[in-house]
Amino acid sequence: MKKAAQLLFFRGHRIPGVKGWELKRALGDDYIKIIEVLNSTLDKLGMEVKQISEDEAGREGAGEEKAERDRFMILLKNPVIEKASAERIDNVAILSAALAYIISKHGKTSRKAVEDFLIEKFHKHRIYSSIDRYIRQGYLGEDDKGKVLYIGWRARAEVDRKTLLDLIIAS
Amino acid sequence: MRPDELFRLLNFCKTIQTEGTDPFDLDVKKFLEMLKQYYKNNKNKNWKSLNDLLLDADTIAELAKIIELQSKWIKDRSSSFYMEPGLLDLKLKMMESEQLAAAFLKSWYPIIAMDQMTQERLKEGLAYWNALLPFSERSDRNDEFPSPSTAEVEGSLAIDDLIAMSIFSGREFNDVLRSVLEELKERASVSSNGSNNNNNSNNNSNNNSNRIKYHDFIYDGETFEKSVEKAYLTSHLVNEGKAEIVVEPLEEEVFISPISPGNATANYAQSEIETETETESRSIAISLSYDDWLRWRQKRNRGNRGNGKKNGQNGG
Repeated sequence: MKKAAQLLFFRGHRIPGVKGWELKRALGDDYIKIIEVLNSTLDKLGMEVKQISEDEAGREGAGEEKAERDRFMILLKNPVIEKASAERIDNVAILSAALAYIISKHGKTSRKAVEDFLIEKFHKHRIYSSIDRYIRQGYLGEDDKGKVLYIGWRARAEVDRKTLLDLIIAS
Repeated sequence: MRPDELFRLLNFCKTIQTEGTDPFDLDVKKFLEMLKQYYKNNKNKNWKSLNDLLLDADTIAELAKIIELQSKWIKDRSSSFYMEPGLLDLKLKMMESEQLAAAFLKSWYPIIAMDQMTQERLKEGLAYWNALLPFSERSDRNDEFPSPSTAEVEGSLAIDDLIAMSIFSGREFNDVLRSVLEELKERASVSSNGSNNNNNSNNNSNNNSNRIKYHDFIYDGETFEKSVEKAYLTSHLVNEGKAEIVVEPLEEEVFISPISPGNATANYAQSEIETETETESRSIAISLSYDDWLRWRQKRNRGNRGNGKKNGQNGG
């Protein structure tokens, strides 16, 4: 369990989290059970291990094979009210607006539509660079041709989309 | 119904997919009726042509995607996620950056990931530093940001070690590539001469250029490992423009031909024409498998035995 915690807490790659097959290699075939035990310990600290599929729809296949392809990561169980990121406020606003806009278009829309929507309030260079960065970080997904944006695996893992929309509508 | 109407509807399907517009804007039932009409009208005319069949397949595939989108659309609308997009757009436009950021933070459960410098990583950094040349020496070599060579890094493997481990070969990579290219030129020439002799009377597509079946070229090794190595080297030849792969969809065969400098010029001229007609280069995935390799060898051995018998009879 100690090894599992170290693997999941400390970043070994640019993208946070660990692939299922990496956990299996390090912890053995019973890695899912070890993660469950770790989860019960983390629960007391307000954290949890989450398993997320990196494909666009967020659901493909099932069982052991799927788990090996999925990414495992530790998340906070309660939303963060205080500042938990060094991100600039305008960058967070761009991400928030882009996610809400894409959700309103059923989870997928053209990149140009998102840029046109954001351009009303932000400078285009900031929009282009922010979108590219959020794609690299996994918050947004982009198709092979770079024309369509969708909700990235990381936003699916980290953002409670229902709460986000409720807060925007209620504002 | 005219084919251009079908093309128009096909484009409409693609627009719905890329722009994310309402998939119910397309009347699927009406579209299918039109397709049926088109099929009836052309059944006795040119329905058998490849273009017609491709258009038909394309249309059905696009329609299937639209139906999938319609299903997703209904699911979204019935889920708790659904909010009127117009209202949401308006709200987003009215909100200040701070409000947007606050809404995000309240719905954000961040991943916990920490970076820590370990002793091992520091040692690697130190080895990198030791191997890195000063700026003045690097600029002399006209190499602004070099990576330290493996031999220079403390504790790393030298080229000789890699050769001993069979990771690197003692032979220069370019020499190996050159020999594969020579073999390709020779065998493609023999193959095309053979097919010309055999097919003088019919218009077989094998006889129209200096080429050989891809799998015949790749699988002709003593072991499957050799074939995989050859496929890897051949992909380099294609990447470097020294060989060309052509897929014949009707024959379901893949051919490879060497490109000589003269032909290359002709091919570049051709490629310019193709560019104008919006044809683009593409990657082709060709599968190799041990079972396939075994089948190929059995087939070749049967062919050789057959030829041996034939030659024996001719000789007698």
